[in-house]
Amino acid sequence: MIIWDVRKVARYKVFLIMRFAWFAVQVSVFAILISYLVTIRPSTGSGITYYEYYLFGAYTALLFSISMFRGYEIAEEFEEGIIEYHLSLPVRRRILAIGRTIGGGIASFIYTLPMMLLILIMLRIWNPLLIAIAMLSALAFSIGIVGLAINIVFGLKSGDRTDILFGVIDALLVRLSTIFYPLPFLSAIPPYFYTAMFNPLSSLADFLRALFLFEDLKPFLYLSQEQMISYIAGLAIGLSVLAMLFIERKAEGGGWR
Amino acid sequence: MRIAGIGYARGLYIVMKRDLDRFWKYKWWLAGLITMNLTDLFIFALIFNNIINRAYISNYLLFLAPGITAIATFASAFSIGREVGVEVRRGYTQYLLSLPLTRMQLSMGRILGGAVRGLIYQIPFILLLIILFGKLPVLAEAGVMVITSIMLTISMSSLSIVISTAVRSFDLQATMRSFTYFLLFFFSNVFYPDALISRYFPHALYIMISNNPVSIATSIYRGIFTPATVMEDPLILLLKLAAWCIIFLMLGSVFYLRNLTQ
Repeated sequence: MIIWDVRKVARYKVFLIMRFAWFAVQVSVFAILISYLVTIRPSTGSGITYYEYYLFGAYTALLFSISMFRGYEIAEEFEEGIIEYHLSLPVRRRILAIGRTIGGGIASFIYTLPMMLLILIMLRIWNPLLIAIAMLSALAFSIGIVGLAINIVFGLKSGDRTDILFGVIDALLVRLSTIFYPLPFLSAIPPYFYTAMFNPLSSLADFLRALFLFEDLKPFLYLSQEQMISYIAGLAIGLSVLAMLFIERKAEGGGWR
Repeated sequence: MRIAGIGYARGLYIVMKRDLDRFWKYKWWLAGLITMNLTDLFIFALIFNNIINRAYISNYLLFLAPGITAIATFASAFSIGREVGVEVRRGYTQYLLSLPLTRMQLSMGRILGGAVRGLIYQIPFILLLIILFGKLPVLAEAGVMVITSIMLTISMSSLSIVISTAVRSFDLQATMRSFTYFLLFFFSNVFYPDALISRYFPHALYIMISNNPVSIATSIYRGIFTPATVMEDPLILLLKLAAWCIIFLMLGSVFYLRNLTQ
């Protein structure tokens, strides 16, 4: 199942081009112009520019969006009857679920790998150990989000509802996180501050920032790196197990609306 | 002739009314959409307002508000494209063709249905603009705003139909929709002033960004509430938006008709 998902990576050329173009617009237009408009140094004593701060935010948003996209793909498979075919295979359902979650996570991560490497080159980061940790954390995050997408699609069994809910989740989780702005700037709005702090997108974005820009980023961090990576790993395991239990106990063919 | 005209208009109205009635089904989606736009306005803008370079913008909330009002039309008008996409995939078009309506009525009705959705969704944001700026537009300005909003929502609705009928795959439709949104949103002057774009970017890129339909509509709204911030003649801006509207309207109807006859 993992290979089945990963093999599909090469098929989505248009998808890849569009995502790459999205990332290019984010990094070469939005991030540059906003970094001329705002400064995050004086108020926090941080040594990084907004541009450097935002790079890992843009990457996290992209990885999240592509991982959630696996849900659209599964919805498409439901419409085409491929899910029923999968359920009829002589494969244990828990294996099917775990395979799809890990396969989807790996595929999503591979899609975003060029963008991650581009950021690392731009920031002149060459430490192989740190790069390996960053890749593993991104992969774990991606697996968790694919697990979430699978739960939603199998739970709703409706292309229309999936489309709407994914749109809302995508828009809100990105905004209610530290993708665009450092956590201290949110402290004036407590509900938003705590939502952003415990948002998994914040955990990955801040973990990657802390991994490579720790000294400059200290004023922006409220959770330790260990706490953030534990949260990402917990998310991956928790949502994968949930997807496994759901497909094993509840999923049936048919009934797609 | 007159009766034929009334009959034609009635057919258009029926198609539009059907699409409008279906719009209210998506309460949760609408709630999410409003939250997203308000988050952009009140959280993004307020947080950035504290760290903004005052040489460019004195109040980021007031700067961003017209842009959010313009982009707000996108998702609501684009909902029609999502529905057309579902119809394309499920072969529902056969039923639509069997209705006692001409193909042009169907096509225009769908585009206008999407535009009306966008307009209805935009009204609270326009009221918010009036409250934030504390300025009630005079009659001529209100007329310009209405024309701008109509042209922008027709453009968005037509564009969504082009995207949904150009590809049949569900996942590719969603990807293209999302990409178009980000392109219109971030490749525009919604977040940054024209002066900043022209200062740091090549002229050709500046021309592309400032002539994006969302940028044009944003400039028109800004021109009404803060005239000093917009350099371009409002009439030229309106003509540019009219050109986009006509292009998208033609493309939307061609793609929709092609989809109906396939």
